[in-house]
Amino acid sequence: MSLRLKLLLLGLATLVLPWEGTRYAREMESALREGEQDSLTQVAQSIASSLQGQTHLLYRDSAPPVTLGPFDLQPVVLTTQPYLDGYPDEWPRDKTAWRHYPNGNNGGFGILTGVFERMLYVLLDVHDDKLVFDAVGANPLDSSTLGERIWLGFTGPDGMEHQVFLSATGAGPVMARRIETGEYRQQTAVTEPRINGAWQPSPAGYRVELRVPLSMLGDRFGVLIDDRDRQGEPATSYGMLSTQDLHTQGRLIAASPDLTTYLSQFLQPGLRLAVASSDGRTLAQADALGQATELGPEPGILARLYRRLLDEPKAHRAIDATAAIYDQKHQQTIGQLRVTQTGERWLTLRDRALTRMLNITLITTIIAVVLMFVFAARLAVRLSRLRGASESALTREGLITTFPETGASDELGDVARGFSTLLGRLNEYTGYLRTLAGKLAHEIRTPLTIVRSSLENLESEGISDGARVYLDRARQGSERLNGILVAMGAATRVEEAIAGAERTRFDIVAVVASAVASYGNAFPHRRFVTDLPSEPIEIEGAPDLIVQLLDKLVDNAVDFSPPGAAIIVRLRSELRFVVLAVENPGPPLAPWIRGRLFESLWQSRTDRDSRPHFGLGLYIVRLIAEFHGGSASAANLPGEAGVSFVVRLARA
Amino acid sequence: MKRLIASVEDEPAIRDNYAAAFAREGYTVRSYGNRAQAMAAFASRLPDLVIIDISLEDEPEGGYELCRQLRSLSAELPIIFLTARDTELDAVSGLRLGADDFLTKDLSLAHLSARVNALFRRVDALRKPHEATQIIKRGPLTLDSERMQVEWEGQVVLLSLTEFWIVFALARHPGHVKNRQQLMDAANVVLDDNTITSHVKRIRRKFQVIDPKFDAVQTVYGMGYRWVE
Repeated sequence: MSLRLKLLLLGLATLVLPWEGTRYAREMESALREGEQDSLTQVAQSIASSLQGQTHLLYRDSAPPVTLGPFDLQPVVLTTQPYLDGYPDEWPRDKTAWRHYPNGNNGGFGILTGVFERMLYVLLDVHDDKLVFDAVGANPLDSSTLGERIWLGFTGPDGMEHQVFLSATGAGPVMARRIETGEYRQQTAVTEPRINGAWQPSPAGYRVELRVPLSMLGDRFGVLIDDRDRQGEPATSYGMLSTQDLHTQGRLIAASPDLTTYLSQFLQPGLRLAVASSDGRTLAQADALGQATELGPEPGILARLYRRLLDEPKAHRAIDATAAIYDQKHQQTIGQLRVTQTGERWLTLRDRALTRMLNITLITTIIAVVLMFVFAARLAVRLSRLRGASESALTREGLITTFPETGASDELGDVARGFSTLLGRLNEYTGYLRTLAGKLAHEIRTPLTIVRSSLENLESEGISDGARVYLDRARQGSERLNGILVAMGAATRVEEAIAGAERTRFDIVAVVASAVASYGNAFPHRRFVTDLPSEPIEIEGAPDLIVQLLDKLVDNAVDFSPPGAAIIVRLRSELRFVVLAVENPGPPLAPWIRGRLFESLWQSRTDRDSRPHFGLGLYIVRLIAEFHGGSASAANLPGEAGVSFVVRLARA
Repeated sequence: MKRLIASVEDEPAIRDNYAAAFAREGYTVRSYGNRAQAMAAFASRLPDLVIIDISLEDEPEGGYELCRQLRSLSAELPIIFLTARDTELDAVSGLRLGADDFLTKDLSLAHLSARVNALFRRVDALRKPHEATQIIKRGPLTLDSERMQVEWEGQVVLLSLTEFWIVFALARHPGHVKNRQQLMDAANVVLDDNTITSHVKRIRRKFQVIDPKFDAVQTVYGMGYRWVE
């Protein structure tokens, strides 16, 4: 896992802010809700107490019903106005609001009543195996042509009983009619236009939907069906009215239309006031729940998104409070007031706070993540630079002098400085090792001089032949020791010679040619082959050093080649370099020594010979090559037949 | 009268060995361990030749200072530096102070006495009139092997003993290439290649002071040097 990814994940930890914020918003919401609940309860109680004793508003007659009689009707409060077409589409689907009256074992009817504004709506669902309409054009009072007939019985506001009937000659609108008895006892059917509706056949029989103004009604209401299977046949009457005299048996327990008006004065947008009877049936309500509360502009896309993310699907969007309406006169609770308030108010408040907070945290998170990513990227770059520097620092004698990041004041700077110090110490130590041979040679020289001068003095003392043998051995040993000392100091002297060398322009071809010419005498058991360009090539440097470099390479080639072998010295010109190569047949280089060949005090010789070796020869080659702006390398010849040492020197 | 050689050397064993060797050769030898002792003795009597080590007891460069003081006392007194220090800088510093030779301690006693004898020979020769037989002439070069003195176009070139012997070896057979070993043998020294190279460089420079176009000492790469007329 890269540093970048880790910091990115850390950055995502800032997402805990919106999570915590959401929780806070929920708490705020519930606090708001509690406050609203309290005030709503206050409102409910004060409205309820203003309704105290106003029994007539709730029940129109003076006595609140204790229990519902078999013929009593309690209309539901309709939220929409039913369209009078004989179909039950606009009516509530609540089955418990229906009352059913059977016709013996043969059908029956169900009745659903409802109040909308100042009208009583009645829906009759009659089960009848045979629907018989009145004869078209006949006198509705002519008993021989009568079909199905529906009687409505009710008391007026003055307590007088009234009966009207509904009959139809076909499906469609229908109007109630009243039977009036004239001066001469003749009966006429007078249209009662205030009571009208629609008659529609249904799969089970027929449906009638009608309305009656509440202003016509007192406290009693009932329906009676005259069922006929044929026109003019004696009817089978059943329903809620007395079959003998059509006396209204049931009560209409409906609130006064003034109750809605009364409630409306307390209405505010986002509020619903409802009065229910003590058994829980709604008597009247004033509704402004759907009206927008003017709190601000529509929430934005983000706000809506947040709400969708936060709210549980069935969140309580509204609160309500109930208060009992007590009647002092009857010493009982006559109903209860329910006040419902939409949640929009505090939801909008919550949303506004939440949206702002979420927006801020979202922006903060994005900025934090981006910053961390950038920071991590920078850190990674710095680290890789540091790694690169530390990797390359020790490949070549620890010569790194400037280390990146040492100026930085942070921990990486500390690391870099630590590295720098470490490398500096390593450099010092390497330098110490490099000069150790020279220093050692210098220190050994004095005691060696004592030994050698003593031996020489001893020689002059006239010693016996037997002792002379040992003297010679001692002298040979001291000569060898001296040779070792010279070799040990060689690197230091070459470094000095390089430091003091003067640069001149010279033809390297001539120098190499003349030097190689002399090797034949020096190494009679090797053949020397040259491959030199015919044109002179000028380089800038010290010809003495070039010869010394060639000496070392040839020396090396001779040491590692069998007697009689051909040593090839090649010189060729490249664009910016002169390439000098010395090739010899012999054992190939192991891959692991190739990089170290040119280091100081390193050698791969395993055989012993009389001359001291300190692994300085190729180190000197490298120093001289570098002095000439070039480099030295070694490679095996094709087929591992031998070794080629290649030196590149910058052209003048 | 026996010649008096003064040896200023802080290592007693080496000092005594040298003293024994020179005594065997018939010289009187006085040895001193530090500069103060040596100067105190030299104040009363100057020796005929002085051999000085550079570092003397607590003075790392005491030899140089001693050389400077001696040169101010006498311009002709032969002075040889014999030291364990073998850097180019040390050699240049010592010779610039007017020493006649700069030798490292890996020199054998035989070589050392050869040099001492040569220096005495030069001192003697300078006191005697010229003997033409000892003079080699090569164009502008006049080489007096007895006085160990070199002139170029009539002007004296001040060479150290080693440098003189190198020039002598080259100029005796002009055109012949002398390799480094041959030059070392001629100069009675054991030196490594780089030291020979720097000796030759110094010789060229000294001639070039008189004649900027001097190029009589030629390098034959891989072989050695030769004198070209």
